[in-house]
Amino acid sequence: MIASFDATETVLALCLTGISLVCLYDRHLVRACCFFVAFALTMTTAWWHIGASWLAVVEFLLGALMTGLSLFYALGLFLPRGASPLIRDTFVDVWPRKVARVFLVLGWLVMLGAVIRFAIPGLFNAPLEQPLLLAGIMMIASGLGAFALHRHLVRRLLAFNILGSGVFMVLVGVAGPTATAQALISVGLCIAWLGSMLAALLIQQLVYLAGADSMRGDGDLGERAR
Amino acid sequence: MIWRFGLSDSTFEPLISAHWALGVALAAPLLLGLMGAVLPPKRAWPVALGYLPVLVSGVALLCTFEQSGLMRWQWELAGVGVSLRLNGLGVLLLLTTQWIGFAAALYTPGLLRLGETEPLSRWLWPLMGGLLSALSLIWLATDLLTLYVALELMGLAAVGMLILSGKPAALLAGMRYLLLALVGSLAYLLGVALVLGQWGRLDLQGLAEMVEPGPVAWISAALMGAGLALKAALFPLHGWLSPVHGSAWTPVSALHAALVIKASLFLLLQLWSILLTDSFYAPHIIALLGALAIVWGGVLAWRTDSLKTLVASSTVAQLGYLMVVFPLLLSPDISPLSRALAWDGFWLQLIGHAFAKAAMFMAAGNLMLATGEATLKGLAGTSRRMPLSLLVLGIAAVTLMGLPPSAGFTAKWLLLDAMVKSQQWWAIAALLIGSLLTAAYVFRLFRYSFYESAPRHHYQPLAPGMDLIALTLALAAFALGLLAHFPLTLLHEGGA
Repeated sequence: MIASFDATETVLALCLTGISLVCLYDRHLVRACCFFVAFALTMTTAWWHIGASWLAVVEFLLGALMTGLSLFYALGLFLPRGASPLIRDTFVDVWPRKVARVFLVLGWLVMLGAVIRFAIPGLFNAPLEQPLLLAGIMMIASGLGAFALHRHLVRRLLAFNILGSGVFMVLVGVAGPTATAQALISVGLCIAWLGSMLAALLIQQLVYLAGADSMRGDGDLGERAR
Repeated sequence: MIWRFGLSDSTFEPLISAHWALGVALAAPLLLGLMGAVLPPKRAWPVALGYLPVLVSGVALLCTFEQSGLMRWQWELAGVGVSLRLNGLGVLLLLTTQWIGFAAALYTPGLLRLGETEPLSRWLWPLMGGLLSALSLIWLATDLLTLYVALELMGLAAVGMLILSGKPAALLAGMRYLLLALVGSLAYLLGVALVLGQWGRLDLQGLAEMVEPGPVAWISAALMGAGLALKAALFPLHGWLSPVHGSAWTPVSALHAALVIKASLFLLLQLWSILLTDSFYAPHIIALLGALAIVWGGVLAWRTDSLKTLVASSTVAQLGYLMVVFPLLLSPDISPLSRALAWDGFWLQLIGHAFAKAAMFMAAGNLMLATGEATLKGLAGTSRRMPLSLLVLGIAAVTLMGLPPSAGFTAKWLLLDAMVKSQQWWAIAALLIGSLLTAAYVFRLFRYSFYESAPRHHYQPLAPGMDLIALTLALAAFALGLLAHFPLTLLHEGGA
């Protein structure tokens, strides 16, 4: 186990996990988006390191550059309207809903654990041999958690992007950087970018039409507007 | 089950004409859509003229299939395989997609002319074209990578179309749908990752030979199933469906309810029939949820005040019928005869519902456009002023209720036959309760339309043909029951 211990991979995996956690749980939205760009750049390095150079290029262009720009557009940084109303996530949920969501997340984590136990037995037996795969699973877990816990639409969008990166990491971890895996991930990155762009347009339009409070994203506003 | 999806070797190589027809069927809708964005058509006839090649390609593919049976296409691009197949089911679903897409495209110019001019309306055309291309690809593709691409294109185009009306409620519902659809596709991708890691290939035919039941197959089936069920609005993951339809444009709602959610369901059944070859519990859980969906969707549609919510909730219930059939198709302890009957009934119900629901959304859209109201109470007085729209609604509802001689009746008859033969009594009970609930909410709608107490308000005249298109779709759903011979023959030639 010591022999197969790869220092670079471990550092990359730790960086990925750490940055993704900061990005997901920072309430200051601009900072969180900056951390997302840093995260995508770390992903680029990771792809480069495991020999998927094509993926590194795609991740840099689509993941870091285009998705990053989409996120900053969603925050309204490119608009000449002065201070953007989306600086902090100030929404606070009532306790019962929080508890319900925490239970939801715990349920997901249990299922994820079952997946690892039965579908990727190698990881279960020797968890430290593939640090990047472990980081991918950590990203999936934290991304799912954030997606369920947060109400703010920008933060849910961030959570989706981190979750997607985690899934791509796991894909390469279980299937190796083959041509098919790289094709799947390239498509996934394209979709994530297109989805983020569409979401950014939607968020800006919603803020314009209904104010920053619409970022809460639940059905109340829909009912009122109708 | 696998041969029914045409996952076997073909006898003949596809002819040159088949290549051309395939290319046109897949690419022409998207190209036409892009053309529509540059030069938005103002009348229905340019749309009909432009769409003609697509319809011809569908008929040409039908003819080649009749002549040479199952056809396969395979390409290898930079180490990544892409494979397509054309079987009876594929032809049938492709034709359904093309004709419903045709109806929606013909309906659109009239609607855009009547409504207030929206700045975004020209974007409807490329999105609609992309949606139809992606759907056609889903019916034909047989490897998980192409299916992933098509599924995502379809999902993004669907979200884009649904938010075009630009109201805050539509944007919010669209945003929710977008996030859920994206997360659903990640679940699907994780399932694909496990399959690729375990068996090292993505083509369905090869997987069908290699897959052995085991934890990896079950878990990837569960992950893909969860993602696709979310996209297909299967109960209890249907929460996003009604709000999304609430303020969408009529042809968009029609396409979405008729085809988009069906594509995810089709994929779910196809993948599960490969991955879950001997599972007893998974299809039964789906069927149980389906029975709940029939009741819950029916009750929602019965209690609602909004016309669009009624039609959308009825989709949830009608999807329940299809979910209830899952054990008959996938469970290992079903006799071949019941399975064959259930197979026929499943697809006939799916296609009949697609036509009927598209007609129903259009009729509801016509009523809402003419009265300017979105509630059931707003329908008061329409029985005298808009008899044709109500007639369309009625004919479509006959299919949904399953009264003879509609497609819904023939499909339910086949399904009941299969259920009696395999003694699934609770499924029969669900089917019957569902029909009663459908009758309840449809007749409630008609009761409001016969009220004469309404204050006289202005009725917006409809563009010519808007009612006729809806009527044609409703009659097609009706005729599918009478002429069920044609689709069923195609279905039986599935793997031949």
